[in-house]
Amino acid sequence: MPELERHSFDVLVIGAGGAGLRAAIEAREHGMRTAVLCKSLFGKAHTVMAEGGIAAAMGNVNSNDSWQVHFRDTMRGGKFLNNWRMAELHAREAPDRVWELETYGALFDRTKDGRISQRNFGGHEYPRLAHVGDRTGLELIRSLQQKVVSLQQDDFAETGDYESRLKVFQEFTVTDLVLDDGRVAGAFGYWRESGRFVLFEAPAVVLATGGIGKSFKVTSNSWEYTGDGHALALRAGASLINMEFVQFHPTGMVWPPSVKGILVTESVRGDGGVLRNSDGKRFMFDYIPEVFKDKYADNEAEADRWYADPEHNRRPPELLPRDEVARAINSEVKAGRGSEHGGVFLDVSTRLPAEEITRRLPSMHHQFKELADVDITAQPMEVGPTCHYVMGGVQVDPDTGASSVPGLFAAGEVSGGMHGSNRLGGNSLSDLLVFGRRAGAGASGYVSELSARPVCSSEAVAEAERVAVAPFSGSDEGGENPYTLHMELQQAMNDLVGIIRKAEEMDQAIKRLDELKRRAATLVVEGHRQFNPGWHLALDLRNMLVVSECVAKAALMRTESRGGHTRDDYPQMEADWRRKLLVCRLPGADGPGASVEVVEEPQIPIRSDLLELFEHAELQKYLTADELEG
Amino acid sequence: MTATAEVSTGSRGNQPPVPDGAITVTVKIRRFNSEFDDEPRWDSFEIPALPSDRVLNLLHYVKWYLDGTLTFRRSCAHGICGSDAMRINGVNRLACKVLLKDLLASGGKPTTITIEPIKGLPVHKDLLVDMEPFFEAFKAVKPYLITYGNEPTRERVQSIADRERFDDTTKCILCAACTTSCPVYWTEGSYFGPAAIVNAHRFIFDSRDEGAEERLDILNDIDGVWRCRTTFNCTDACPRGIQVTKAIQEVKRALLFKRV
Repeated sequence: MPELERHSFDVLVIGAGGAGLRAAIEAREHGMRTAVLCKSLFGKAHTVMAEGGIAAAMGNVNSNDSWQVHFRDTMRGGKFLNNWRMAELHAREAPDRVWELETYGALFDRTKDGRISQRNFGGHEYPRLAHVGDRTGLELIRSLQQKVVSLQQDDFAETGDYESRLKVFQEFTVTDLVLDDGRVAGAFGYWRESGRFVLFEAPAVVLATGGIGKSFKVTSNSWEYTGDGHALALRAGASLINMEFVQFHPTGMVWPPSVKGILVTESVRGDGGVLRNSDGKRFMFDYIPEVFKDKYADNEAEADRWYADPEHNRRPPELLPRDEVARAINSEVKAGRGSEHGGVFLDVSTRLPAEEITRRLPSMHHQFKELADVDITAQPMEVGPTCHYVMGGVQVDPDTGASSVPGLFAAGEVSGGMHGSNRLGGNSLSDLLVFGRRAGAGASGYVSELSARPVCSSEAVAEAERVAVAPFSGSDEGGENPYTLHMELQQAMNDLVGIIRKAEEMDQAIKRLDELKRRAATLVVEGHRQFNPGWHLALDLRNMLVVSECVAKAALMRTESRGGHTRDDYPQMEADWRRKLLVCRLPGADGPGASVEVVEEPQIPIRSDLLELFEHAELQKYLTADELEG
Repeated sequence: MTATAEVSTGSRGNQPPVPDGAITVTVKIRRFNSEFDDEPRWDSFEIPALPSDRVLNLLHYVKWYLDGTLTFRRSCAHGICGSDAMRINGVNRLACKVLLKDLLASGGKPTTITIEPIKGLPVHKDLLVDMEPFFEAFKAVKPYLITYGNEPTRERVQSIADRERFDDTTKCILCAACTTSCPVYWTEGSYFGPAAIVNAHRFIFDSRDEGAEERLDILNDIDGVWRCRTTFNCTDACPRGIQVTKAIQEVKRALLFKRV
């Protein structure tokens, strides 16, 4: 057996999307020797797929905007389940993070006076999203990547080594964290190409691994989204919150089958696109919930006036938060008013001149033309809900991103709390920058205060290696294909814990997951460790299964409907439930038969000066009577 | 040696039902494993597919049902991340953006599609190449905003026209389709290649940037823009529709007229 490759760093960042890169830059700026580990090539992270923009109350387009208004919108979008401190930090700091990104060289569309332009988006009261056409996520990643390159060149000038302070290990997968007496001591994983194992010794790890969407059949998420960070945290003893809340983006492509699930950006609606059913009816007017009636127009004339005169008109209902629109589409299709392929029609062709569409939405125009042979300037698109984002994640300290495990931090989609039960579009890219920076600083602060570094014991390393090679020596007789297991998992989650949920189906899902867990534990992969995608999937399945278990069990426990959790058997939102968080843990970590435990814990009450930002009448919709009295 | 997997019984278990309207096509893939093989070989697979399927779907079919060892990169699957550039029927394309209907043989004749790794970079395995030399060239042109003086507290002002000036080259997704389609790059690996020049162009023509001189110096080097022989392969290959050759010409012109 060749000797184990070892590296030693101060801070390890797992994931190279927006949160990971921003965290790494911050740790490096704090003088930490920092490594970034990512599954795909550096610069190809899932963040590139974000199209709409970065929400930040800069007030460039409407000077009435402020962090307080952004905070209010975020809390409303999350149905008040958000961690208020995260929502506050996010709203306050997002503008600085956008301006900072601009100093890194990021390109933005501009206003007439040369400032960063901002666009309208679902759930945001004012035009708030800084954007570059519809490729904002790509630009964000590229800017951070370029910043990393420039820091490395600075380091070369000073030390003669480009990677003396900040090093990227790409196409690398972390399989387990290594602990020393309950504290983070390092991470164990393999080079995806060679399958060779590597041990990273580091007292602090920032998880920035993104989401879990690959557990669902119809998803906009790419192959990396297997819940690795969620699972690493659980196995290390950290807790996850809000795992029952999964966002289904209302508008994914539904046809042809080869592109099912791929996203159609919300900007299509922000720029005037409307949703129609097979009768040609603009149906969203029928789905405005009580809590939003004073903000959204109930007739077409007023809705259409809003684009030109947002001051004096209510917003079109197509711009309701994502959960509302996704549910409405689901209901229309169920009622038999869907399109031929089981979606509804999103039409911008009759709303804007063709040249305006290609100018404002170039990537969408391109995407439909090239992938589906549809010209969106001439005909409507067929769209339907697609699994997009998980609100749930690692329970963290809002200010530092610290989890309950010493040395373990999390930022971005893998962390939980910021978005409550539903995330607003545009709040993800800003989340990555605000909390990526904070987690990088938090991890640096933790490391600089350590008196002694934790140690990776040889037993812990041997155990991590044993688990990683286990798929080669399973006892499966049928020769099961890991791809088959993955597809069964996706089908079960889609059908039984999808956009509309009920108790008996989730019971079934939990049983199905148990069975899949058993089969996954015994499946055998062929070949050897070098370049072995089947082995990679077998290891990813371990993560997807435990994360799916969290989603299903928490969803079964929450007997109400709120944001990204809709119960057919409990259709109402209950103020009592707003005060409760469902917290997932994995006692017995990786032992055989370890099973996710979900417990109810009280939600932290909202600070009073933040509550005062809302009208009493609005709070009555969300808070219990005794909370309102206090 | 050519191994052909049967349609009905793949080595990897049950295949999904064949959808209505599917056509069986032959996909020839160049296989190579740098750790074990001396020479590459071609494997052929018979795949039932819809005209609306993309080449990426065909590759997934092979990997999931016929040969789990097939190795290629892919991520976002709709042309934004730039992971799956490969030579498809002899030209550089992203596998996620080529529809089968555009590759079908005329008159209902049998269709064969050849898939190879992009040229000019060392092959690790199958369609997966070593991207390091490509990224080294990218880093060498200082692909980041260079400014002097104090950082502003808010954004730098940039007019709509100034921002528009370099819009085209900011669309780059670093997929390497252009660089690995360039005959000069195939023979002279030390040439920076089109993608690096595109990324230098992005900053040279950015009104906020003050590093144009430094970058132009780098590109004036023996391995810089003067190697370009204007064959337009790069422009044809770009999946983002960037006018790559034009950008290179603009850099050449900047060298000729701005500095001298």
